Amino acid sequence: MSDLDKAIAQLRACRPIPEIQVRELCYKARELLIEEGNVVSVDAPVTICGDIHGQFHDLMELFRVGGDVPDTNYLFMGDFVDRGFYSLESFLLLLCLKVRYPDRITLIRGNHESRQITTVYGFYDECLRKYGSANVWRYCCDVFDYLALGALVMGAGHDLAPIDAPFADPSQSNTDADDVEIELLNSQGQILSRFPRNRGGTQDTSQLSNTPSSPSQTKEQTPSRNGAPGTGATSTSGGSANNSGGAVLCVHGGLSPLIDSIDKIRLLDRKQEVPHEGAMCDLLWSDPDEIDGWGLSPRGAGFLFGADIVDCFNRKNDLSLICRAHQLVMEGFKEMFSSTIVTVWSAPNYCYRCGNVAAILELSEDGANAGYAPRSNGDMNRSNGVQSEKEDKRPGPGRRYRVFDAAPQDSRGMPAKKPVADYFL
Amino acid sequence: MSDLFRQSVNTPQPQNQNLRPKPTPIPTQGRSSSEYDDYSSSSDSSASSAASVATVRPSSREHEAPPTHWTNYFEQELFLERTEGEQVGRYHVYLTPPTDLKKGPLFICHHGAGASGMSFAMFAQEIRKKLPEAGILSLEARAHGSTIANATSGESIIDFSLEALVSDAVSMIQLTASNQSWSTIPPTVLIGHSLGGAIMTTLATTHFRIFGPSLIGYCVIDVVEGSALEALSHMKTYLSSRPSIFSSVEDAVTWHVRSRTIRDQRSAEASVPSLLISSPTGNGKLIWKTDLMSTSPWWDQWFQGMSQKFLTGRGAKLLILAGTDRLDKELMIGQMQGKFQLTVIPEAGHFVQEDVPEKTAGLLSEFFRRNDRSQMVLPPKVGDLIKQGKKV
Repeated sequence: MSDLDKAIAQLRACRPIPEIQVRELCYKARELLIEEGNVVSVDAPVTICGDIHGQFHDLMELFRVGGDVPDTNYLFMGDFVDRGFYSLESFLLLLCLKVRYPDRITLIRGNHESRQITTVYGFYDECLRKYGSANVWRYCCDVFDYLALGALVMGAGHDLAPIDAPFADPSQSNTDADDVEIELLNSQGQILSRFPRNRGGTQDTSQLSNTPSSPSQTKEQTPSRNGAPGTGATSTSGGSANNSGGAVLCVHGGLSPLIDSIDKIRLLDRKQEVPHEGAMCDLLWSDPDEIDGWGLSPRGAGFLFGADIVDCFNRKNDLSLICRAHQLVMEGFKEMFSSTIVTVWSAPNYCYRCGNVAAILELSEDGANAGYAPRSNGDMNRSNGVQSEKEDKRPGPGRRYRVFDAAPQDSRGMPAKKPVADYFL
Repeated sequence: MSDLFRQSVNTPQPQNQNLRPKPTPIPTQGRSSSEYDDYSSSSDSSASSAASVATVRPSSREHEAPPTHWTNYFEQELFLERTEGEQVGRYHVYLTPPTDLKKGPLFICHHGAGASGMSFAMFAQEIRKKLPEAGILSLEARAHGSTIANATSGESIIDFSLEALVSDAVSMIQLTASNQSWSTIPPTVLIGHSLGGAIMTTLATTHFRIFGPSLIGYCVIDVVEGSALEALSHMKTYLSSRPSIFSSVEDAVTWHVRSRTIRDQRSAEASVPSLLISSPTGNGKLIWKTDLMSTSPWWDQWFQGMSQKFLTGRGAKLLILAGTDRLDKELMIGQMQGKFQLTVIPEAGHFVQEDVPEKTAGLLSEFFRRNDRSQMVLPPKVGDLIKQGKKV
């Protein structure tokens, strides 16, 4: 058993590893992360996870529900630390797994992966409490600066890979398994519901916007760009009809008015503390909202952006979906704007008191051509003829959400209840 | 009623500039109790027929006020009066008007229970360094500088319900506007500390119409419904454990600083004198101006439903907390859904605006700048770009 495997075993038991090992781990992780671009390419199948916030036992539950590393390919969209009582164990475990299985786990940065935020919301205090010094916090913050800002999932299948799962409610078991767009499973792996594609995912938890898609502007034009989705050369990757779910952009917060193409994310200098404003800040702080265009974010950082912005960005970058975290959703996930953007939240009963469930999102690989991410080869817009006439919007990939509750908590390591304020009138 | 008040309301306005009361010197060493009469809140109904509004401005001909006098933090001190039925409200506020009424901003501040308008003195000084054009209106609640009395009997009315305190705040804002002949209230940010937070949150939720279109947002300082209600049971113990009598102002300032109730010497020197009155026993000692225990029947009511109101009020929302984040469930959900701005200041105690006035002023000036609608430029909407014939 290597030192790394020993460290993983120890962290899985929720026991911190010695400071010297943390230093070594962080050093190795940085060497690995420095090689990654600002936008990491990830091939489907992949399981996408939202905020964790130091809820270690719930992270273990997530691995139980979603499968273990390296069997399952994971993408975590940031906010590993703060608020929960085990930020340290949670983040170090994820980092160990990253170093051990670099191709099976992707970590991108959330707004809490920052020196300023962690000093206030718990991670700094936790490091101090568990190690008696701020060294470990410093090592971790140095790693934060190297985390990628986004990920681009390629080759996600239009159809969900079939699974052999029973229905939670047996009376539904005759639901057609063909052409399922969204499948919802509970933590026991039972199917809760299925939504076929022709209904367009009009489920309760989806918040579908009525915003008409903006006028198509490129349909009759000869595409000027020609390449893989998410690159400046993009036109469409729809290549082979009926196969691809299109590319999926994963980012912690959302879009930025300074970023109109994924290439612009690639050009940022990310190796720094999260700034208070600008593109990098927006990517980690913004939220989608039911507005037209851009709005001021009530958070005091980042922006709000409406359906028109998402639609425009997705077309321009040949994306079928934006996947993000950052906002607590009581149902664990929430699709918005005709399923062009989804929020995934993976911290159940957030902060041990919010009463929400958590979710992870599985994207299958494209079964039709063995997971090969299709690149355009000059055969433009072929898919447009096949799909609906009125929309040239790319159909989303098949999406399987697994919803889970909080794991039973043990109280070890929980700090004593904070003394109440002396005076507050 | 205070001498200062009586003197000012009995003085016909505005002819007798030179008869205006002197700035009250803040006693610094072993003063006799008589000099604290200005802080007395005894009532005197005979003044009710006098001019309802009086302004006290410092006069250069008077001897120089000590560095902690209110004139060092605010331009004006207003005594405002409103009679409603059997109730006479005599209000006391501090004001520095904004230089440009159209642009503002006007920060309207409300202190917490047991504090006073001078709780925002250092904040007022600091905010003017960052936003020289800004105005500050610091209100004083009943029994904290303002008095509410029965019109016939002249006795103080004991009602500390949230509704009563909110209606006092509305009156103070409206009377100040008419005193200053403002046709509309300048672009405004409300700031409430503690109990003041509950009052300002209620203003922004149910009384936002008095501001017309001028309400930019509101800021609550160090109070959260959940943790406040939880801590209520400890409050009586806390109150009984603090000294009830001080031998001098210095003594009181020292106690506030030593007990870390107020963690900034300058702030304590500015605000503590206004918390005290001379002891009625006439022994030269000082006691608290506000009898907090008498407000205890309303404590629960002050904070109940505050989180809900905070999340649904009009305008931008900023919550500043001292020490650690003590959000209750409702605010935790709201915060993680991005509904308001939260700033935690680890180095500050409960009196955030007094402990770290410069930082508080920095946060509030940023908050205003960010939410100032006259300056706001958002990126164009996609629809507008298409209309302009631009390729998107």
